[in-house]
Amino acid sequence: MTMKVLVVDDEEDYRLIIKDVLDGAGYEVRTAEHGEDGLAVAKEFSPEVILVDWMMPRMDGETFVQTLRRDQSKKNVPIIMLTVKQSADDELEALHFGVDDFIIKPFQPDDLLARVRAVARRSGT
Amino acid sequence: MTLRTKLTLSVVGLFGVSLGGLGYSLVRLETKHLQEESKKRSQIIENTVKRAARDALIQQDEILLLSFVKFMTKEYPSLSFVKVSWKSRSKPREHLIGQRSPPITVTERTFQVQDPIRPMRSATIIVGIDTAILNQKVDQEIGRLERDLLRLFGIAMLTGVIFSDWFARKITRPLSALSHVAGQIGSGQLGMRLEWESKDEIGELVQGFNQMSVRLETLDAMKKDFVSAVTHELRSPLGAIESFLRLMEPKLNSGTPQDLDQFKVYFSRIQVNVTRLSGFINDLLDVAKIEKGKMECVLKPMRIQAVASDVVLFFEAKAQEQGVTIQSRLDPNTSQVNGDAERLRQVFLNLISNALKFTPEGGTIWIQGEQFREDGSKWLEVSVVDTGKGMGPGDMDRLFKKFEQGTNSKERVAGHHGTGLGLVIVKSIVEAHGGKVSVKSQVGKGTQFTFNVKLL
Repeated sequence: MTMKVLVVDDEEDYRLIIKDVLDGAGYEVRTAEHGEDGLAVAKEFSPEVILVDWMMPRMDGETFVQTLRRDQSKKNVPIIMLTVKQSADDELEALHFGVDDFIIKPFQPDDLLARVRAVARRSGT
Repeated sequence: MTLRTKLTLSVVGLFGVSLGGLGYSLVRLETKHLQEESKKRSQIIENTVKRAARDALIQQDEILLLSFVKFMTKEYPSLSFVKVSWKSRSKPREHLIGQRSPPITVTERTFQVQDPIRPMRSATIIVGIDTAILNQKVDQEIGRLERDLLRLFGIAMLTGVIFSDWFARKITRPLSALSHVAGQIGSGQLGMRLEWESKDEIGELVQGFNQMSVRLETLDAMKKDFVSAVTHELRSPLGAIESFLRLMEPKLNSGTPQDLDQFKVYFSRIQVNVTRLSGFINDLLDVAKIEKGKMECVLKPMRIQAVASDVVLFFEAKAQEQGVTIQSRLDPNTSQVNGDAERLRQVFLNLISNALKFTPEGGTIWIQGEQFREDGSKWLEVSVVDTGKGMGPGDMDRLFKKFEQGTNSKERVAGHHGTGLGLVIVKSIVEAHGGKVSVKSQVGKGTQFTFNVKLL
């Protein structure tokens, strides 16, 4: 069975690139433009890994992650945060509100794949 | 030599010189006074002897005079001798009281006394007064005065040294603390402050210093923010282009209609990113020009309403996608303005793309114009108004400063990580047109940017 990945990012470029890279690796990918949209998709799609941008209109990545972590059925889904923030403080803050890993934009496709695989392996899906 | 030593030395020096001068003149004055006193005293001795001699002549009592003079020589050591030569009916007699030593230090005074009733009775009296003894007394007095003064001088100097050292310490303590902090700032610990409060020049210096330090820290933070914003603004589209190019090759090779469609999408995204990149680089170049003071505008008659409609058209698709209405409400019959069409286009592009960033779905953005007269010329006031999230007064102050953005522009607005250059460019362009830019805004209601251009 193919693994389901949800990508939440307001930038079209990143949605396109990530979807293409993950499609090519055999994942089933759905995308959303912001946090609200992402929550709706997550509900019916039940992703096994979520990639989420930090800064988005409507609902940002932080609120998205916090909302998701309160949901019993979603609180263990591995989440990778996509971010341009690069300070250790930011990473620590994000770990506190519940993400599992980071990908700093812009990234290399191999890096993206490796990290998605790693969090999936750790969560046992 | 430290400032403290210098201060102490100069205070002590001043103290010493003035005390010394004071003491010297005091001693001189006192010496003069004492000398006069002793002169007077010898005068008194003389006069007393004179009077006693006269009384003795009148009363024909030589013994009285002699015993009185004896008493005097005992009483006044400076009276070294008295020689009386009597002249009367009988033969002259001479009496010497005291020792008539050779006159080295003894001054002799000779005078005559007469019995006023019997003028043939008279006496010649020589009074010898030892000035050495007189001066000895003066010297003793002065010596005592000098010792007293010296003691006083010592105490005063000691107090002076202690006081001036305390004072110098008080002055130099904040200074050395300041130089310590300055050293720390110099070694890169920007924003260091010195806690010191006093209502004097030093207090002012410390305050100014602290302000400088904070400003340095702000500037440094701004520089870092700017560098990271520029880096991101360059890396982000380049990264996207790189990724698309990499993804496009297999699509072209496979050649299926589906892959070719993807290929076209990626191709258009590359175009968008190239535009974004070149736009940003142009902004950077413009700012570099502004820095050198060379924002050039070629002013000639033009129709600003045409430029406005053009820009509105340019943004229409994007606005629609965002659910925002965008329109130009400039009167199509507005007369020509004196302006640089390309630069004014840049102004509208910047203002409207800003407005789009901060206007949520269902909002409206429009351009409006109003004519007014000032100093005999006609002006057109152009505003770009939005019903976006607005901003507080603190953000408005920082808007037109280089590389600064409102506090929410980096935190909460996504996808548009501006570099804070747009408004700086807008401001320079409008100023090159002789106009001014202003902004009105209310949190939650919207923002209005206004600038003016001269009508022909």
